[in-house]
Amino acid sequence: MTQAAVLARRRERLPFSHDERRAWLFLAPVATTLLVVAVFPIVYSLYISFWSIKLTRPHRQPFVGLDNYAQLLADPEFWHAVGRTTSFTVMAVTAICVIGLAVALLLNETFPGRKALQALLLVPWAIPYVANGLMWKWIYDSSYGALNGLLFQLDFIDKYMVWLGDANKTLPLIANAFVWKEVPLAALLLLVTLKSIPADLYAAARVDGAGALQRFLHVTLPALRPGFMLVIIYETMTAIRHFDLFFILTEGGPGDASHVLSWRIYVETFRNLSFGTGAAMSYILAIVTFALAYGVIRALGRNVR
Amino acid sequence: MASIRFDKVGKRYANGFVAIENLDLEIRDREFLVLLGPSGCGKSTTLNMIAGLEEVTSGKLCFGDQLVNDIPPDRRDVAMVFQSYALYPHKTVYENIAFGLRMRRTPQAEVDARVRSAAQKLAITHLLDRRPSQLSGGQRQRVALGRAMVRRPAVFLMDEPLSNLDAALRISMRAEIKQLHEEMQTTFVYVTHDQAEALTLADRIVVMNDGAIEQIGTPHDIYEKPATIFVASFLGAPPINTLDGEIGGASGRPVFRCGDVALALPPAIAAPTGSKATLGLRAEDVTLDPKAQDDVAIDGVVNSILPIGSDQFIGMKVAGREFFFRLAKDQACAIGDRVRLAALTNRLHVFDAASGRSLAGG
Amino acid sequence: MSAAGPAGATGHVAGERHRRLRIAALWIASLIFVGYVTAPLVWLVSSSFQSEREITSKPPHWIPHEPTVQNFAAIFAAPKKDVTYETRRAADPASGGFIPSTAANLLPAMANSLIVAISVVILNLLVAIPAAYALAKIRFRGRDASIYAILTTRVIPDIALVVPFFLFIRNLGLLDTLASLIITYLAVTVPFSVFILTNYFEGLPDELDKAARVDGCSRLQTLLHVYVPLSLPAIVAVILFAFLASWNEFLLALMFTQTPNSQTLPIIVASFTSDFTISFSFINAAGVLAIIPPVLIALLFERYLVSGLTAGAVKG
Repeated sequence: MTQAAVLARRRERLPFSHDERRAWLFLAPVATTLLVVAVFPIVYSLYISFWSIKLTRPHRQPFVGLDNYAQLLADPEFWHAVGRTTSFTVMAVTAICVIGLAVALLLNETFPGRKALQALLLVPWAIPYVANGLMWKWIYDSSYGALNGLLFQLDFIDKYMVWLGDANKTLPLIANAFVWKEVPLAALLLLVTLKSIPADLYAAARVDGAGALQRFLHVTLPALRPGFMLVIIYETMTAIRHFDLFFILTEGGPGDASHVLSWRIYVETFRNLSFGTGAAMSYILAIVTFALAYGVIRALGRNVR
Repeated sequence: MASIRFDKVGKRYANGFVAIENLDLEIRDREFLVLLGPSGCGKSTTLNMIAGLEEVTSGKLCFGDQLVNDIPPDRRDVAMVFQSYALYPHKTVYENIAFGLRMRRTPQAEVDARVRSAAQKLAITHLLDRRPSQLSGGQRQRVALGRAMVRRPAVFLMDEPLSNLDAALRISMRAEIKQLHEEMQTTFVYVTHDQAEALTLADRIVVMNDGAIEQIGTPHDIYEKPATIFVASFLGAPPINTLDGEIGGASGRPVFRCGDVALALPPAIAAPTGSKATLGLRAEDVTLDPKAQDDVAIDGVVNSILPIGSDQFIGMKVAGREFFFRLAKDQACAIGDRVRLAALTNRLHVFDAASGRSLAGG
Repeated sequence: MSAAGPAGATGHVAGERHRRLRIAALWIASLIFVGYVTAPLVWLVSSSFQSEREITSKPPHWIPHEPTVQNFAAIFAAPKKDVTYETRRAADPASGGFIPSTAANLLPAMANSLIVAISVVILNLLVAIPAAYALAKIRFRGRDASIYAILTTRVIPDIALVVPFFLFIRNLGLLDTLASLIITYLAVTVPFSVFILTNYFEGLPDELDKAARVDGCSRLQTLLHVYVPLSLPAIVAVILFAFLASWNEFLLALMFTQTPNSQTLPIIVASFTSDFTISFSFINAAGVLAIIPPVLIALLFERYLVSGLTAGAVKG
């Protein structure tokens, strides 16, 4: 009796069964890979952010604790960058949601050619950001660009205008290029959510006397909530860290009009060669991303329950 | 040697859920053993442990004299048929059947011979080049049987193999499975929640409930001498009638009392006077008899009539419970009729109210 | 009956009108959609077939009047002559725009991009398939934690990895090598690959796994003989995503590559855009070259990509 109990406990304490050992063996490559290329760097990054590392003076790299962070938080330039990142993100995510919803609603209808449109939708998503960037740079070109040409031919403007070079227009124009490439993913995610709404719900609303608009407001929009949450989380995370377009389109300019956080990280690290500050800044960005993912998923979970 | 022994076997999942506790069971060589019970009773877990698909977390599981607790399924000599058939969708019928032999490096000539002979036996030779998606449910079932047969395993495991078939096919497949057992001369362990299947197929039935064994016995024993109220009510359609009451003693013979009903019990019933008991009485173990003696009689007013073709089941209220009895189809009976039934005393099942165990002596 | 007649008739007319209105609305919406998606691309392609002279016309020529393949020709047979201030002027006296000698770097860069992308794809498959099988089909302690950990690594922003990666890669002496890109791209692709495959494996019945193991397969054989052949759609999706992510990646390549030895296509293309003297028609030709593989993939494999992108969307 006691012997059996002892035996049972010993078995429970045995670390891993045959199957469990097999599972860990199968996971070993992924675990190793992610430890090396994700976990180690993110921890190392934290470590670096506590030091004053400048490649311009490789032999003096003092430990400075939280100084890098303190200096950043006290630096008005940093807060300006945060502000620009925020306004870029808000503009972009709002536009992505609106246009994405319109596209999803269109593709949710049944009509000949729908499949072709859906395939076309993937094209902007698939092309590299660099190509997207140079495409829009050329469209926005102040001397020969398509935007000027089009507006001029349509008589909206009487002379060619400066676009990206105008500090007031830079962020919205970059956001526009970003939106063009991000809309497909948002539209697809919303489309799947739309398709998951049971037809019974619409039939019931119809029986209850709801018109098309009312059905949209009372059935479609509430049902789209999880889809929108997903889109907002994902696109916000993508927008706040976005770098490529700022590099291609403006290199942070004109002046500092498009100095967003990711651009400042790049400048601090690779132009000023001050790795400690760069790491600290990128760590702040990472924490915001995690908080965002975690917080919004939690809120979503509560609503679902 | 294909006897299987469970010695205080337990199965506990990582989340703390205990599926099986202290299971003792000896499965004899070449017998047809059916594990019967409601879903979630642990019968499939037991079967999976024999296959090696679920780990034994305590106790010992032996094939013959060999402890197999830590032997993975690919190194046990078992074959298995699944409820969903689990045919490989990307392989032809031929390759499905041959797969187990190929994994064991059987020579090609041997593989071919065995696949063809099994296919012939199951009358699926014309299907060998098809893929599972092109087959009907019954055909898939046969392929699944074939896949297990060709292996000539020491133990043949079946997990609700007939549940996905329609009723007519299910009955004809039962006969085939029984024949298969006869031909293969190997141990069969068969899991089902269908009592009719269990009663038809089994040499012995193991009735399970809540991760423990309620009773082990031949189909006859299980049906006629249920060891617990659970076994009594799990087998039989409609379910056995039950009445809650207590044991009384008049002139030395035990009597079961419940409201107006007072039935004389066989003398072998061993229970002290005054103890609470549950009486079980099957619908076929009473007869319509207006002149029945009071100590075997049950009175009531008919409130429902359920004809099933060959017979009819008549429902009435007895001591506040719905009570069914069987009547030949040609006997007239109408709702509202006042009837008197005579119980067959030697077919009464009496169980202790608290433990649910049978009070039948011996 | 008689009252129902006219009411039914007007209902029919209203239905017909409603149907036409719907068709008209769908047409207009589809046209706007197609315009929004294709107009910028058409302009990119159109101007890549124009000469420096034509591209600078006002208003712009939406369709090339004198289409030319000189921009592409320069990429495939790049001028070998040295470029000096004088030859620049000579290239196109009308505008000063010119086709740079670095055009010769485009094809090697494309080869670099291909090598990196294919290596990343292969490593993704090797690493993600067994892991996904274990996560989907084996019950083991630590499974939930593993899934959580892998999903968490998916949201690490790439820019947060840049600084540690750079020091790490430099200390390994791997700066300016393709290996540095292949290693670091695993960080941005593997979590997603594991996610897609795990999702797909979970959708396949557990009984197949059991049947295979009773049939005599070890875990590895079960994976290779049963799950891999059944998961081709998900595997194709993983291949496409890993390929596209590597082909398109810019930030990390910008940090780790310095010479044409290791520079990938996006880097070379981007280097043109910051040189004001280079003809935009040539830059656009380079851009067209960079988008051809992704566009083909998007159009040919739309089904696989959509299923991968939306996996788990409804659950969330």
